[in-house]
Parts: sequence; structure tokens; C-alpha cells
Amino acid sequence: MNSYIDYIEDTLQDIRDDGTLYRYKRQVLDQMSERAAEVTHAGLRDEKVLTDLIISEFPNLKDGFEKFCAEDRKEKHKKLVNKVMLFGTPALAILFLVLYLAVSFLTDAWSRTWLIFADGFLCWAVFLLGVGVARVTQMRRIFHPIARVLLALAVMCVDTAIFLIVLMFTGFSQAWVIFPAGVVGILLADAVYAHVTHQKLRIINYLVYIPVAAPMLYVVLGGLRVIPWDPGWIIILLGVAIDVILLIATMVNNSKYKYKPEVEQAWNEN
Amino acid sequence: MERKLNAELWDKMHYLFRDFNDRMVHVELHYDFEIDIEALKTVLICFFEKAPVLHSSFKDNHVSPYWIVKPYTIEDVLTVAYPDDLEKAVDDFLTQYIPPDSDLQMKVAVFFKDGTSTLCVVENHMCMDGGDFKYFMKALCENYNAYVEKGISPIELREGTRSYEAVYEDFSKTEQRMARNLYKNVCAKDEHKFPLTPDSIRDRSFIAKRKISAETFDKIRAAGKKHGATVNDMLLTAYFYSLYELAGYDPSDSVTISCAIDLRRHIKDVSDEGLTNHTAFMQCNIPERGRDIFETLQYAVQSSQKFKHDKFMGLYGLPLLKLGYSILPHAASEEIIKIGYSNPLLAMSNIGILESDKLALQGHEPTDGFMTGAVKYKPYALLSVTSLRKELTISMCVRGNDEDRAIVERFFDLMEKSIGLLIGE
Repeated sequence: MNSYIDYIEDTLQDIRDDGTLYRYKRQVLDQMSERAAEVTHAGLRDEKVLTDLIISEFPNLKDGFEKFCAEDRKEKHKKLVNKVMLFGTPALAILFLVLYLAVSFLTDAWSRTWLIFADGFLCWAVFLLGVGVARVTQMRRIFHPIARVLLALAVMCVDTAIFLIVLMFTGFSQAWVIFPAGVVGILLADAVYAHVTHQKLRIINYLVYIPVAAPMLYVVLGGLRVIPWDPGWIIILLGVAIDVILLIATMVNNSKYKYKPEVEQAWNEN
Repeated sequence: MERKLNAELWDKMHYLFRDFNDRMVHVELHYDFEIDIEALKTVLICFFEKAPVLHSSFKDNHVSPYWIVKPYTIEDVLTVAYPDDLEKAVDDFLTQYIPPDSDLQMKVAVFFKDGTSTLCVVENHMCMDGGDFKYFMKALCENYNAYVEKGISPIELREGTRSYEAVYEDFSKTEQRMARNLYKNVCAKDEHKFPLTPDSIRDRSFIAKRKISAETFDKIRAAGKKHGATVNDMLLTAYFYSLYELAGYDPSDSVTISCAIDLRRHIKDVSDEGLTNHTAFMQCNIPERGRDIFETLQYAVQSSQKFKHDKFMGLYGLPLLKLGYSILPHAASEEIIKIGYSNPLLAMSNIGILESDKLALQGHEPTDGFMTGAVKYKPYALLSVTSLRKELTISMCVRGNDEDRAIVERFFDLMEKSIGLLIGE
């Protein structure tokens, strides 16, 4: 035991102790003692060999300490977010209620003030979904589809919140375009997610999303009268054209990485 | 807390091979002195701790399999005995089967007789291949010597990743991308079989081996040099030529033998790699037997040359396997891979030289020994080749009966005859 303590103390002697160091030292010592007990149980009788073996399993305590600190910070941050999520929901409900009643009594606009509740909770849902996306993304790739679904839900919440505000405050008759725009937003967000997280075969996503997003964009721009319905439909053809160009560009790029063994050709010639 | 290890691609592949072989790799080394058992125990414990996969149990999880590190005692690993019938004791030990879900994946035995020791080791191929097993044995001897002679703790065993992806690391970015795009289904399509008897419930595992003298080995090398062939090419030729005669194939038939290749050739420095599998197969094919054995040799050389000049030798098919295991849960992946994969009916593994100086214990070089691959289930056959003290050992591990043993012995006779023809005897 003393050999392990000496090793830990010697290796970490030049690191400033801020309380975290003690916890790290204690953790390492516990792990070393546990491993020593396991190896002793296996039948190792030579104390010197046991000590050397266990120490060799903990070769870089300084790096380990840095990781421990990073993990510690991450854990603290996670705890904070968990607290915010746990206590935030009832606190927000009370806050929204107070706000709703205060604004409603002051302005007497009862027909609109319910938006404080609706949009407030939609924004809260976006925050919770965002936390979900971030946490699931840190998990193994097999779980990433869940993050992508959560991301789509978050975009949908933002979309609905915007729709409610526009409808209630402007009475804009073309407010419905916000929904097809939301679909474009979902596809765009997913494409960005796939790119940022380096999803394999993400090109397939892009190739599917572009021809789906193009008609939606056509409806949005047409509905807003940014472009005329005719010949605005060209956007759909443009989407298909972009898809084809992307496909060809990908194939050309991939062909650069296609290996053609020269020996095989030489063999065939023989 | 339960320690888990990732089941790597080759672990899963070798697990899939359970229908074709028993996945055990064997080594037998004879020494003319009595090994210090306490020292050996110490070295083995240290090595098992350095390579925890050796005391882990494979969990065939339907979604994603993994290893669970298990507690053990050295008495479970090491058997020490003083048998009356050494040959039988060695044979019984070497032909044992270690199930992948058992707590230990390697068993060691030392048999003492008349002042000599026989060191036998059996391990699960899922943990490491012949290449790393050879390294393991050399490290075992080196650490044992350092411990016994100088009191140095026996902890010098490579540790690190067991991932198959290590084979890509020394390529440039462009080469890596090329290699990772080699989606090719590398399968042996040949239907020619080793002429063993039909399967029977009474079949038992056995290891048949034949020694080829140092003098003949020298002649093989010299004759190979003369014909522009390696020892591997010469042995492969003898294998082909003997098979035509043994199995009575039509001389105009094209036959394929899969030869094991060590993918570590793509890794510049293996010192930070863990014990694992890095073995693939190349399909050596001859279009016909040829008029004489030298024409067979010419075909064999041409076939192996084709692979040797390929920058990505042995890397074809890896991305496809990776894809197969990535996109679906393990249980489904296995079924899909089984559809596309066909195990070679005829195979050869040249494990290479067992360096006697590096396998010496306390200054005693092994007097005899060999290493061999898994026990194949009929109709699959694998010829293993190792050399020790310039003597070649060809061996075949078969689950069969006495008739099969006689067939294998006849095959060895033919191999010797073919080698004789090649070296001009």
C-alpha cells in the first residue's frame, strides 16, 4: 500500500492541490488497491512484481488528473443543467402565470395574452429538447437517430411558436407558410447535424432532402408572393438539378479514391 | 464493477467461424530441463493482467457482443503434471476446446518427464492470431528469463488497441480513404475439398504433424531461389500437387487454396498495439495442375505475386465486414454475413519461424516444437507450417476418425514426395 501512496505522491507532487487533487489521489489509490487485491487473488505472491505490475497500469497520473478535472467540470455542469430542468419547469409555470395575469389585467388583452403561456412553454420545450440532443449526441452513434428526432421536434416547436406570434399579432393571412417553412427547417437542421457529427453516408440524406425541400420552398415563396406561382415551379426542377449535380460531384470525388491495382491489370494481360 | 471490453471486428468474425473450426490455436515446445513453475506462474499472471481479454468471457449479445473480464486463479490457467504417457497427455491437452463464454481464453500446461519439460499452450483465436501468439510466446520466454535471472518484474507485454483499424493508420489520408472503400466480397468460390470421410458423431479432434528435416528445408530454400519462388510458394505447390493426387482431381481443374496473410505488414510499428487478430486470406489459384510440378510451381508463383505487389494486400473485404456489423444488430449482421461469406475449403497458414533463441528458457533452447491453427471441421482443411531449429513442421488439425488420420498421413507422404520432386530428389 505504501508503495502505491509513494508513487502517487511522487508523481503528482508538483501539482497545486485545490481539493480536487485529493479526490483524484484517493480514487487512484482505491483503484490500485482494488487491482492489487484482484491480482493477489489470481495467485501472484511476489510483492515486488505485484507493485510493479499495478504501477505499470497507472503510467500517466498527470494526464489522468487533467482528465479527472475535465470530467469533474462536466459532471458539475450536468448537475447544474439537471437542477435547472428539475426546478425550472414549476418555476417557469409560476412565472408565466404571474406574467399572464399581470399583463392581462394591465392590458385587458385576454384574447392574446395566453400566448405568454403557449410560446413560453414552447421555448422551454426547445431548451429541454436541445439538452436532449446534446446528451444523446455524446452517446454512441447507434443512438444518434434519437438525437435527430429530438432536433426535428425542437424545430417544430420553434416553428409553432413563430406561427402563433405571427397569427395573433399580425393576422397575416399567409401565416400558414410557416409550416412548410418548418419542414424545410427540419430538413436543413438534420442535414447540418449529419454534417457536424460526420454521419456516415450522409450524402444520401442530402440527396433525399433537396428534392423534398424544393417544393416546400416553392410553396413558401409562392405563398408569400416573393415569386410568382408560374414560373416559380422552376424551383422544383432546380432542386432536382442540384441533386443530380451533387450526385455527379460526389461520384467524381469518390472516383479519385477508387483503387485500381496495377498488378491486376498486368495479370490480366498475361 | 464489471469490466467490459469491446468485441472487435475479428473477434466477431472468429466467433462466426464456430461452424467451421474450434477456434483454438496450439503451441507445443519441448525443453531439456525442468521449468521453474513458480516463475512461470508469476509471468502468466502478469501477462493475463496485461491482456485482460485472456481472462474474459465472450457475451453473444444480440445487439452488440462484448467481453466481460472475469476473476481467475493461476491454478485454473496452468496445469502441471508428471504423465507416464507424455504424448497422450500433450495430445489430450492440445485438442481441448475452450468455449468463448468460459472465464479463461488461454490454458497452459507443463508436463515433466525424465528431467525434461513440455510447455503446451492453447488459446482462443478470437483473442489473437498466430502472429501475436508467436509474439506472446517470445515475450513469455523473455520475461521469464529476466525474472528468473535478474529479478526483473515480468510486465513487458504489448498493450493497446485491438481494433482492426490499426492496419489503416500508417497510410496517407488518400490511401486510407482508398483502403476504406475496398468493398469487395473476398470469398473462396472453389468447390474442391480435402478428401476426408463424411461427418460422424464419433469424430474426435486430432493433430497430425510431419517433420521435414533441416537438410530438406535448406534444399527447399535453394530450389525456390533457383525458380524465383519463396518457401511459401514451394510448400503451396507441394500442397496443390499432392492434393490433385490424393483427391483425384481432374488435372485440368482449377483449384484454389486460401493462404493466410499477416496484415501487420501494413503497420510500421506494432509496439502500441494490443494482442489481437490481423490476419486475412489471399486466394491462391492455379488454372490447372500443369504437366509437371514445376509448371504447378509457376502457376503458384504467378498467383502469389499478384497479391504481393498489391499495396492493399489483404485489406479487401474489411470495409464490407465493418459495414455488415455496423448497420444491423449483431444477430442480424451474422445472418447477413453468413449469406455472403463462404469459408475456404482448402487453406494454408505459414506461421513461420519459431526463433529458438527467443524461445529459450534459462539458456535452454527448445529441443522441438511447433505451432498450429484451429481444429477444422470436415470438409474444411487447414495446413499449418512452422519451423524451429531449421526443421519444418507441417500439421493439420482435424475433427475426424482414424480413417481421416490415415488420409492426412497419406497426404503428408505425398507432400514429402512432391517436395522431393521440387528439390530434385
